[in-house]
Amino acid sequence: MTFMDWYREDRLPHIYCTGCGNGTVINCTLEAVEQMGWAVDDTVFISGIGCSSRAPGYIKTDSLHTTHGRALAFATGVKLANPRLNVVVFTGDGDLAAIGGNHFIHACRRNVDLTVVCMNNMIYGMTGGQGSPCTPVGAISTTTPYGAVEPVFDLSELAVTAGANYVARWTSYHVKELTKAVKDGLETPGFSFIEALTQCPTAYGRRNKLRQVSDMINYMRTNVILIQKKQRMLERGEAVPEEKIPVGEFVRRNRPAMGVPK
Amino acid sequence: MKLVIDESRCKGCNLCTMVCPYHIFQEGDRLNERGIIVPKLDRPERCPNCRLQKLYGRRLCGACALICPDQAIRWEEEKPYEKHKVVIEY
Repeated sequence: MTFMDWYREDRLPHIYCTGCGNGTVINCTLEAVEQMGWAVDDTVFISGIGCSSRAPGYIKTDSLHTTHGRALAFATGVKLANPRLNVVVFTGDGDLAAIGGNHFIHACRRNVDLTVVCMNNMIYGMTGGQGSPCTPVGAISTTTPYGAVEPVFDLSELAVTAGANYVARWTSYHVKELTKAVKDGLETPGFSFIEALTQCPTAYGRRNKLRQVSDMINYMRTNVILIQKKQRMLERGEAVPEEKIPVGEFVRRNRPAMGVPK
Repeated sequence: MKLVIDESRCKGCNLCTMVCPYHIFQEGDRLNERGIIVPKLDRPERCPNCRLQKLYGRRLCGACALICPDQAIRWEEEKPYEKHKVVIEY
């Protein structure tokens, strides 16, 4: 058994652009689900609107393709109505942070037993490259033609603060680590949030001098720093470069969770 | 086992060429019938999955199949006892 057994092969190839990282994140999530040994009938994939949210359409299990930003609200309902189901949510940065931001912090606060995989491509890819809350400062998009000026939302730190039980961040280049993180999230009772930075060569890279897929992968590979290393650097009083993105496991704790079957 | 790239799914992003520790995937040089330059395989019998998957009973590395966004890389069963010349590099 591999992760390919979870795909609806009649729907492939999918519509994602050449080099889009969303396919990689689906592979890693399905590999983790496969390692958990869950049955197809007991698993539900839920998504909102966006590139990332087309993912459940390519998976054999039951799925919900819901309104924009409301994936977590629907997922909470599914989990509380039938706590035996394993619920996984696919969402994007515009879906989760911009339009569904309130649902996100309250799902973290309630600590519902969900696993949320956020494919953060730092832009609204499907609608033509508008700036999202995760667009880096200085990046060019169709709504920020002179460079984004707003501070960036750090989704993982937000989930830690709001009370999620497990929070990790990896990129679509670190496939093995991402698979491990998703598996840890699936095993943790309570709300687990895995942020996967993905490349978007079509909407983001094309406008930001990262036109080739390899350029975006190299950008992610060179600009990440392990969170333990960042903490060591801060303890020693060294300056952490501004553009470095911390990756790794942010928190793992055991707050009382909602929706765990007795 | 045999390493195969499914040309009907590959979109030519060349992500596999960046992750393979053996550099088995090389950038291709000819268009296929869909107008896509599919990576070519350089001595795929060096892949640890091809050699050792049966022996260990599990997938060993698999980074290329995991990172492939189009699910185009897979391992196929071969006819039994096909002879391969394997050159091990140190």
